[in-house]
Amino acid sequence: MIEFKEVSKIYPGAQTPAVKDLSFEILEGEICVLVGPSGCGKTTSMRMINRLIEPSSGEILIDGEPNTKMSGTALRRKIGYAIQQIGLFPHRTIARNIATVPQLLGWDRERIRRRVDELLELVGMNPADFRDRYPSELSGGQQQRVGVARAMAADPPIMLMDEPFGAVDPITRERLQDEFLRIQENIKKTIVFVTHDIDEAVKMGDKIAILEQGGILAQFDSPENILTHPNSEFVASFVGADRVLKRLSLLRVADMRLDPADGADDLPTIDERLTVRDALSQIVGVGATGGIVERDGERQLLTIKAIEGLLKDSGSARG
Amino acid sequence: MNDVLKVFARPQFPHAVLVHVELSALALLIAVAIALPVALAVNRSSLGTAVAVNIGNIGRAVPSLALLALALPFLGFGFAPSLVALIALAIPPILINATTGLREVSKEVIDAARGMGLSGWQILRGIQLPIAAPVIFAGIRTSAVQVVASATLATFIGGGGLGDLIVEGFQKGDTPVLLAGALAVAFLAIITELLFGGLERAFTPAGLKVAQKRQKAR
Amino acid sequence: MGSIQLALLLQSLDQQLVDWAWIRQNYREDIVPAVIGHIYLSFVSVAIALAISLPVGIIVSRYRKAYPPVTILTGLLYTIPSLALLAILVVIPGIGVGPNAVIIALVAYSLLVLIRNVVTGIDSVPAETIDAARGMGLTERQILFKVEIPLALPVIVAGIRIATVTVIGIATIGAYIAGGGLGQLIFDGIDQNFPTKVIVGAVLATAMAVVADLLLLALERYLRPWARRVRGAS
Repeated sequence: MIEFKEVSKIYPGAQTPAVKDLSFEILEGEICVLVGPSGCGKTTSMRMINRLIEPSSGEILIDGEPNTKMSGTALRRKIGYAIQQIGLFPHRTIARNIATVPQLLGWDRERIRRRVDELLELVGMNPADFRDRYPSELSGGQQQRVGVARAMAADPPIMLMDEPFGAVDPITRERLQDEFLRIQENIKKTIVFVTHDIDEAVKMGDKIAILEQGGILAQFDSPENILTHPNSEFVASFVGADRVLKRLSLLRVADMRLDPADGADDLPTIDERLTVRDALSQIVGVGATGGIVERDGERQLLTIKAIEGLLKDSGSARG
Repeated sequence: MNDVLKVFARPQFPHAVLVHVELSALALLIAVAIALPVALAVNRSSLGTAVAVNIGNIGRAVPSLALLALALPFLGFGFAPSLVALIALAIPPILINATTGLREVSKEVIDAARGMGLSGWQILRGIQLPIAAPVIFAGIRTSAVQVVASATLATFIGGGGLGDLIVEGFQKGDTPVLLAGALAVAFLAIITELLFGGLERAFTPAGLKVAQKRQKAR
Repeated sequence: MGSIQLALLLQSLDQQLVDWAWIRQNYREDIVPAVIGHIYLSFVSVAIALAISLPVGIIVSRYRKAYPPVTILTGLLYTIPSLALLAILVVIPGIGVGPNAVIIALVAYSLLVLIRNVVTGIDSVPAETIDAARGMGLTERQILFKVEIPLALPVIVAGIRIATVTVIGIATIGAYIAGGGLGQLIFDGIDQNFPTKVIVGAVLATAMAVVADLLLLALERYLRPWARRVRGAS
């Protein structure tokens, strides 16, 4: 869907490149997270896709065609764009903010109105309440939702998101991430997602591209593989010493095969929607060796042993 | 007081008002026509903005009587030299406000607009100008009030207007004439202030008014 | 156009417009007194205006209801064209022509900017700072003089800067009602049809305004040591 071919970017006057010989391919319907320390060129890489920045060399193919085939503005109208600072237009209502690209594309009024309401519903905001409000009247979390809705307005197959949940508190961020993953399950967009937070990368990404200082691609793989087989010192230290635990956050209790529990009434009850990491934390937190999961009316036993077993067999993929 | 009213009834009075308004309106219009395009032209260059703002700042420090008086040796007596001086006087506030107003539209807003595929012209017209409008109009209002006030001084270089009445009253020791001129000019200045204040509010987008109110409440 | 031609043009303009010999001869009797008179008018006016605006601004920042009427009143004064205000002052019994009428007018013009900046300056002090001061046991009076006014000072000086530049400009008009200062040269030049006086008066008034602007801007920056340190550290 999106293919980087030997893409480099050297800013005028800079000694070292911001992005160097970047080559990788993002598949249709996947979330690809670009992650790395500041100065690794992740935002620059993303902005070259919709040509807010032009590469110094190399090319980017979208659906097999170079992205230089059409004008920058025409290209950008086909690619959703959401940024951390959101950049809502303060003088326009929420509805008109969301309608920006549809209006540029000349949709008729009725279609725009329907689409705006649909999107507001999708991001969990009541259209009747929010349609005619102004950005300054919204909380940070609500603004981020509108930012994402605005990026999706013309139903672009590709979306670029630069730390789209970066400007809110951790709890709101987590909720927005979960909501967005739920939405993505239905819309299946091809998404390029920039973050500096490896936990967010692991959570959101189908693929992760880890970039190093100087815009060099350190590793490009699934979150699972990056956590189990970091291919360099840099990647290992970037994903962190707790990468074993991070792998557990990729799995949900619901995805585990468990045995029925007999007795063991003193064990804590675990919600099967939790990630295995959170379940483990709950079990260890009360000093138990396992927990009870209620599933289809049956009581099942989740033991620390079973969790250890998970880590040994690295074949299991995301749930 | 009755004597003052008699001055208002003199046939020369409407003429003085007319010249005063004509001089001020023309000066303001031409100043807008010069300052706004310059502000738009330097919009994308930080060097251009710095130059424009600094020239504007120095321009604002020039006393209005000095400007009008300097027009005399170079351009001579009359309406036209007064007009030129008043234009020069009116440009700086508009230039400063328009350049800084356009400049202060947040970078993120412009980046988002660009990222969604708005062209440079669409960003300027649909995003930057409406957001900067209150600041730009505040600059025009400052200039307008200043021009109406300074047009009074045009009398010293033969530009006419209500200043003529003040000077006539002063030289002849005719208090009613002096007061009639002074009151008329003061009234005109206050009307101008109110009128342009209204324009400023009218051109402030509703969303920005909401934002201003919320900021004040904090 | 070459620079030599430009120089020649300027020189020919010079010969027509500026009588350098007059400047050399009258520099002591005419020009220096005009400059001193102008500085006197401006300085005294801003000082009086400040002496009024500081207490008024402090009171208004405490009793918020008084702010709108004060703004409307001073705004009205500010809007009245200077020649009109001078003319009105002259006919008021007990004032008449002379420097006093000019100073009253100049004070009137300074009030709006000065009071507004005193209030904005005090408002700009973060609530946490005042809370911390109160928490450490400072009295309201100490908070005002040791916390609020020092922190508000740069904004107040910014107001003084705007007021000073405005006053220097308007003071030239004061010469019309026998207030003295550089305006005297300008009006004499117009009356006597002698461009040199007009140009000298106008150029010096402009220079004085620009210099005052720059000096007070430097003072304003100097008064923000906390801002300077941060910049130095980063």
